[in-house]
Amino acid sequence: MSHDTATETASNSIAFENVTKVYDDGTEAVTDVSFSVSSGETATLVGPSGCGKTTTMKMVNALVEPTTGTVSVDETPVSEYDPIELRRKVGYVIQDIGLFKHMTIEENVGIVPDIVGWSDDRIENRVTELLELVRLDDDVRTKYPQELSGGQQQRVGVARALAAEPEVMLMDEPFGALDPITREQLQNEFLDIQAGLDVTIVFVTHDIDEALKMGDKVAVLQDGELIQYDPPAELLRNPNNAFVESFLGEDRQLAQLQTVAVREVMGPANEAPTNDGGTPLSPDDTLRLAVQNWLRSETDVVPVVEDGTVVGSLSEVHIRSIFDGRSRAIEENHV
Amino acid sequence: MFEPAVGSAVEAAIPLLLTGWIEYILENPDQFAVMLREHLQMVVIGVTAAIAVAVPAGIAATRHPTVGSAVMNMGAIAQTVPPLGVIALTFAFLGVGPRPAILALFLYGLLPILKNTVAGIQNVESAQVEAGRGMGMTSLQRLWRIELPLALPVIIAGIRTTIVLSVGIAYLGAFIGAGGLGQWIILGQQRYANEILLAGAIPGAILVILLDQAFGWLGARIGPTESSADDRTQTTVA
Repeated sequence: MSHDTATETASNSIAFENVTKVYDDGTEAVTDVSFSVSSGETATLVGPSGCGKTTTMKMVNALVEPTTGTVSVDETPVSEYDPIELRRKVGYVIQDIGLFKHMTIEENVGIVPDIVGWSDDRIENRVTELLELVRLDDDVRTKYPQELSGGQQQRVGVARALAAEPEVMLMDEPFGALDPITREQLQNEFLDIQAGLDVTIVFVTHDIDEALKMGDKVAVLQDGELIQYDPPAELLRNPNNAFVESFLGEDRQLAQLQTVAVREVMGPANEAPTNDGGTPLSPDDTLRLAVQNWLRSETDVVPVVEDGTVVGSLSEVHIRSIFDGRSRAIEENHV
Repeated sequence: MFEPAVGSAVEAAIPLLLTGWIEYILENPDQFAVMLREHLQMVVIGVTAAIAVAVPAGIAATRHPTVGSAVMNMGAIAQTVPPLGVIALTFAFLGVGPRPAILALFLYGLLPILKNTVAGIQNVESAQVEAGRGMGMTSLQRLWRIELPLALPVIIAGIRTTIVLSVGIAYLGAFIGAGGLGQWIILGQQRYANEILLAGAIPGAILVILLDQAFGWLGARIGPTESSADDRTQTTVA
């Protein structure tokens, strides 16, 4: 959005235009929602339960049909696709994992390639490739989902969604069923995996921290209406209204720390103390982690170290700079 | 006073139960083999026909609610007609021989399979079916790849019930010249010869147990969910 029209090669992979969904019983699940996701971006849909986020997501693969308005995938309205064909093109990570219990891991991962008619050899190779990608041992392929831990099952869920090389992927609370430690680990790994793929993602979650972490842009929904659609840092700095502000939480400044890397705010290397004694920071650490280390440190200024050399320093001034918008780095990154 | 009497009665009965009928079978091996074959033939044909009709009907019942209630009612009516009645009513048209008996077996076998097919498919978690839909499966693919495999253990349980019922009902075949183990029951009654009666009855009971076990084993093999649930606890512990 911030780019010039000249760099408009990144087309809108998914677009919602004035979309409303009224169910047969009269409940209005989604009201006049408009937003778009550029190719290769991740949009997280977040809001309290019943806010319409899942309904919104399901309109992308025609599981739910909009009452009015248009949803487009690759610049083509969803209504013009054959729903079966569309769903085979769109990867889908299902809530509560949703692996097929009667199929082995291999069969689960290979299901979409199988129904679209890939050869057995090609499916087998693809499964090997995907298991490696999601960091699962190859010997899980003959196991059944129930034999795997929740975290492993969700890796399979991600592998299955990626199997037929989709350009668009829908993720419905993919990590919701996991314990906090496994969830965090999978979030990080998924961000790594995603960085190597060119896939547009719609990611539904009720967890605002997850939404801020996973999304290039975050859509906050309330009672079926899209309240705000912005990059995480912008959302944290300028919440649109009291609802967004309260949804972000009392600790949104802490959340904001999560969205900024040390590199973006650190001071010059020559201000760093020579003998600190605490854990040195990496420029890629989040500011949140940095604050924690800074609080534990015995000095006011903490060195930032990359590959064994001090590349910068961090003090209270640098940390505070993200809140008053004085940091040049922030301006460059988010305007 | 009573105990020795009871004891001696049991003692007297045991050799009768254990030996007399075996000896009778061993004395008439050819006749026994023919009857067993006839018996099994009736059961296999009747049950196969019941499966062939009840499973598709059960699937149809889950697709269309109106068809569903009609089909279930028909299955229930078929179950309430006594097998002996079916044989008595139909042998006029179907003639003497195995055909009326097979018809009775078929009708009586429908309901358990029908009920279990419907229940099995309806009990498949909707999330599993919805996952298939979201993945781009056609409704036929969802049926073949998700609903039927997940319902199969329940359907097999229905077939087990039908087999157990059928082995018993096939004894009635002897009354209309269809042969089977029932012949020795009739003969044993006519001659007041318990060993002949038991020689007809006990192999049937053994047959039921063997077939039931075989299908139970088959059901457990086909449904991986139960056995692997145990594996899961092991994995978590390890």
